[in-house]
Amino acid sequence: MNLPLGLDPDELAVCVSCGLCLPHCPTYRVSLDERYSPRGRINLMRAVEEGTLTMDQEWFDSLDTCIQCLGCETACPSGVKYGSLISGTKTAMAQQRTPGHKLRAGLWVLKHPRLLVWGSRAMAVVQRLGLLSRNSSLWPKKIPLRRPKSTATATGEVVLFTGCVMDTWMPEVHRAAEKVLQASGTAVMLSGTATGCCGALHEHAGLTDQAQQRAQRVMDSLPGEHPILVDAAGCGAALKNYGHLLGTEQAQEFAERVFDVQEWLAKHPERLAKIPLKETQRPPVIVQDPCHLRHAQQCHEAVRVVLAPVAELVELDDEGLCCGAGGSFSLVHPELAQGVRERKMEAIARAGNHEVVSANPGCALHLGAAGAKVRHPLELLAEAIVDPQEPGT
Amino acid sequence: MNALEEFRQSVGPHGPVAVVGGRTRWHLGGSIDPQARLITAPQGIEALDPSEMTVSLGAGTPLDMLDEALAEHGQEVALAGPPGATVGGALAVGHDSLRRRRIGSARDVLLQANYVDAQGELIKAGGPTVKNVTGYDLCRLLVGSLGTLGFFGSVILRTRPRPEITMWLSGPTKPECFLTEIYRPATILWDGKQTAVCLEGYQEDVEKQAQKLHALGLETSSDLCPMVLPPHRQRLNGGPLKNGTVADVGSSVLYGPQPAEAPETTPGVQRVVDRLRHQFDPEGRLNPGRNPQRMST
Amino acid sequence: MPDQLLAELREALGPKSVSFGGAAQLLYSRDSSVFPGGQPGPVCFPETTEQVVACVQAAVNHNRSFVPRGAGTGLAGGAIPCDDPVMIVTTRMNKILEVDKQKQFAWVEPGVINLDLSRYLLGTGLHFAPDPSSQQSCTIGGNVANNSGGPHCLAYGVTSAHILAVEVVLPDASVAVFGDPEGPAGGYDLRGAFVGGEGTLGVATRVAVRLTPDPPAVRTMLLDYQDVGTAADTVSAIIGAGIVPAAIEMMDQKVIEVVEKFIKVGYPQDAAAVLIVEVDGLIDGVEHEVERITEIALACGTRTVRVAADEEERARIWKGRKNAFGAIAQVKPGYYLHDTVIPRTKLTEVINKVYETAERYDLLVMNVFHAGDGNLHPLLIFDPQEEGIMDRVLAAGEEIVQTSLDAGGVLSGEHGIGLEKRRFMDRLFSENDLDAQAKLRHTFDPDERANPHKVLPGGSSCAEINHMDKPPEGTWV
Repeated sequence: MNLPLGLDPDELAVCVSCGLCLPHCPTYRVSLDERYSPRGRINLMRAVEEGTLTMDQEWFDSLDTCIQCLGCETACPSGVKYGSLISGTKTAMAQQRTPGHKLRAGLWVLKHPRLLVWGSRAMAVVQRLGLLSRNSSLWPKKIPLRRPKSTATATGEVVLFTGCVMDTWMPEVHRAAEKVLQASGTAVMLSGTATGCCGALHEHAGLTDQAQQRAQRVMDSLPGEHPILVDAAGCGAALKNYGHLLGTEQAQEFAERVFDVQEWLAKHPERLAKIPLKETQRPPVIVQDPCHLRHAQQCHEAVRVVLAPVAELVELDDEGLCCGAGGSFSLVHPELAQGVRERKMEAIARAGNHEVVSANPGCALHLGAAGAKVRHPLELLAEAIVDPQEPGT
Repeated sequence: MNALEEFRQSVGPHGPVAVVGGRTRWHLGGSIDPQARLITAPQGIEALDPSEMTVSLGAGTPLDMLDEALAEHGQEVALAGPPGATVGGALAVGHDSLRRRRIGSARDVLLQANYVDAQGELIKAGGPTVKNVTGYDLCRLLVGSLGTLGFFGSVILRTRPRPEITMWLSGPTKPECFLTEIYRPATILWDGKQTAVCLEGYQEDVEKQAQKLHALGLETSSDLCPMVLPPHRQRLNGGPLKNGTVADVGSSVLYGPQPAEAPETTPGVQRVVDRLRHQFDPEGRLNPGRNPQRMST
Repeated sequence: MPDQLLAELREALGPKSVSFGGAAQLLYSRDSSVFPGGQPGPVCFPETTEQVVACVQAAVNHNRSFVPRGAGTGLAGGAIPCDDPVMIVTTRMNKILEVDKQKQFAWVEPGVINLDLSRYLLGTGLHFAPDPSSQQSCTIGGNVANNSGGPHCLAYGVTSAHILAVEVVLPDASVAVFGDPEGPAGGYDLRGAFVGGEGTLGVATRVAVRLTPDPPAVRTMLLDYQDVGTAADTVSAIIGAGIVPAAIEMMDQKVIEVVEKFIKVGYPQDAAAVLIVEVDGLIDGVEHEVERITEIALACGTRTVRVAADEEERARIWKGRKNAFGAIAQVKPGYYLHDTVIPRTKLTEVINKVYETAERYDLLVMNVFHAGDGNLHPLLIFDPQEEGIMDRVLAAGEEIVQTSLDAGGVLSGEHGIGLEKRRFMDRLFSENDLDAQAKLRHTFDPDERANPHKVLPGGSSCAEINHMDKPPEGTWV
């Protein structure tokens, strides 16, 4: 029997509607309406599969607004695989109706690195002319005109995955990652433009075919055994999910080579210990856990391990509730995303309004646009490394 | 014929009837219509199981008798009344013990009531277990209703362990700080000049808390309340105390020499009260003349 | 006229706060109990008392019933709509209005989440004592409606003991405040009568809760046993010795096994039962009680007594208990549980009968419950796909209920009656007893407009629910 969404009935049956997920869902927290909750969305999936509900506008609205932060999956006591259910649903949704033209155009550009570089430079010029906002969740306050020079080498022990948008808009993060890894005695090579975009946003939008194509291309461009290190939590989560996305042994093996940079460093304390650090004050820094790190990769503690020597870590009191950036969610549902972001900004204020670290570009842009000062944890660490030219090392 | 059935028949289905306990607070909530027949509830402890922490007894049992029986097992109930008061009377009045902050409210004591309603039927409300949400909470409605909704025949009460020691301290320090400085004092009284604090629990704990109180200017007096409480209660409001009154700061009750006016019932609450009385006793035959809304607290 | 009703509601609340469509109707037709077949009318999200009044008034005008609803975490079907009622969802009334640290109370709106209130109070030295296992999701309004419990009710009492006053929109759309947060209210305890009314007496729109001082010291102990009877005897012995711990929870062998498998908290794997005992208060008394409990436990035949050395160990011991239901759900997808309370001294007898019953019906049963106050939660675990299983599960469930009643117990300790247990009410109460309860209901709601067909047995139009073709499920207790 062909079910409308093609979901695994056993996976769907695991949810007992207990509602313990509700407070961990950012859109429920803002709307306080079952339609925007994990429990509600699962019941809506069931209803369509059972044929008691059609995929009407109200139905789409409930499912479209899911940020896919997976906070519910972490909270679920019954072990419901929400991530798998929602990505299956998004795929079915994308087949039912084409995504909006803005989203499609954006996703198309991501697949074309050169276009992205030139387009970005054009945006940088337009922004400097004052014609483009400096407070958008979609691009940095100051789009770089050119990229700082990489110090990576052609051969190395590890590959730093450079991706698409981050490489053009936030290249300083990659440079920081290189610096940190090299200081730990690790030779780094870059994935480069041949590898390109990881396909996370395509998958997020339910464009599974395109995501699979991207994944295959990424894998083909990075053969061998080298660990692949990622400094953007969203990309890392996507790469680690290739096994599930493609369902091949090759993809599974590839996924096992993928680590978040912080995760990898925390797993190699001997290398972490090698990093020569300046003896300075440890400034207070608020740690914001990107959902892709906390819920998808579940390696958010590594950020704390890596940063502890250089900063006084301040925790938020919102149990890692999503900030609302969530891939393309803020593009499609700005109103709900803003409500979700307000909650995060309030939590940041309660924690003392210090500088925030976030290991995901989407969160950094989203929170930065609301006025928070956000940097990547690796930037903070890189800054604390003793310069080899400086005397006294 | 058992005592409960006898009691039920003595209430009967017709005519004004009033139940008499120890007559210790007979004046509360208005005087009884002299036309009413006077009856008394069954007396005596039926079952006392210390490891259940419940006691089952006739509502006419004097509080003192119950307390004595429970003391043998190191237990007590969170009910209080003047000497001679009965359990049924204490429940009908519903006033908390002076030690409420430590031992809980009179409204949480009643687990099950076997009462006789205005139709002369024996009704069971609640249940014998210490935790129970089976159906509507008639027990809490009956406590403090001055017998106007039904007459307690027998009841099952929750008991609690007696404290190892009790210690009263007093001194001229103002009372407010003791609410937060001390962990769960049983009582805090203030007569305008002196504060009296009651501590209870394990000896070592009480002694350490007492030291804190000594530092705040109180001195240990004895194991009995050092203040004499005037007979009439009302709600404690802000402002300086009048001479001859004592404030129970911990529970917001003021004790004074004169009876106080009852607080005004809002129209919204009054409508519900009218329906309540109509539902439970349309003819007004149970304890006629009494009205809990006329009690000052 | 539904159109007119909708128009009236939208006029009063604004169009975004009233939903009427397939998705909303579906999602608000049920709560955590997974009874099929509820039928809601318009779903309203009021944000003020005035808007709740408007919802109730609209229901009155159009001769509809209404159902108040919080987070929908109830396990007895209490929030399931019958007869197309106006759904009054109070989740958006979620402000903490006032905290009086001196007088130790807070006014909150009903949609405030239980755990959010505790978090908000962190650092004040005060907390809201009721801690139902759903506390991360459930609302204070829902706690009031169900007179909710939780592990720490043993020493601190159930919700009713912690509610000082409620502002209520009555079923005739009038507003009244019952109780007084600042002192004993004179007159009838309508507050006490309202708490536990399961939404059939009106809608709570503001709640004054008692705040309890945080205990200066807490100790958590893990006791393990080679048989359930010895564990039960230990519970009675502790209480009988005059110690009322903050909590006493029991888990039997099957629960320990699955909890260890999924959560790995370090419970002894070969134990037939474990008890979690927590004591709190001032430090000397707490240490004294730990010593006494250890003595009593060992004298009763407890195999080992472990006292959590630090906060981390304490959290780990509780983690196993609090996530037990999730772990069980991973064994088999379906489970059916009851919530009876029995006299503590009958624990051994009743639990053994529960095992017997399960065996006779060829079902798996697991026990994880509030042993300190005799509140059982036997879970019958099953696979709903198995043919004929429902009949066996329901029959076994009914037998367990009867066993509890025969032992002098009651139907529900904390989940409430809702739709689920109405059919058992006459086993505990006579017709006259039930009439008396109906009088309380009619005092608040003479027309039975609020949450009809709940609590008391009698004519229901929720046909699907009456048939009970599917047992309710739940995830915690």
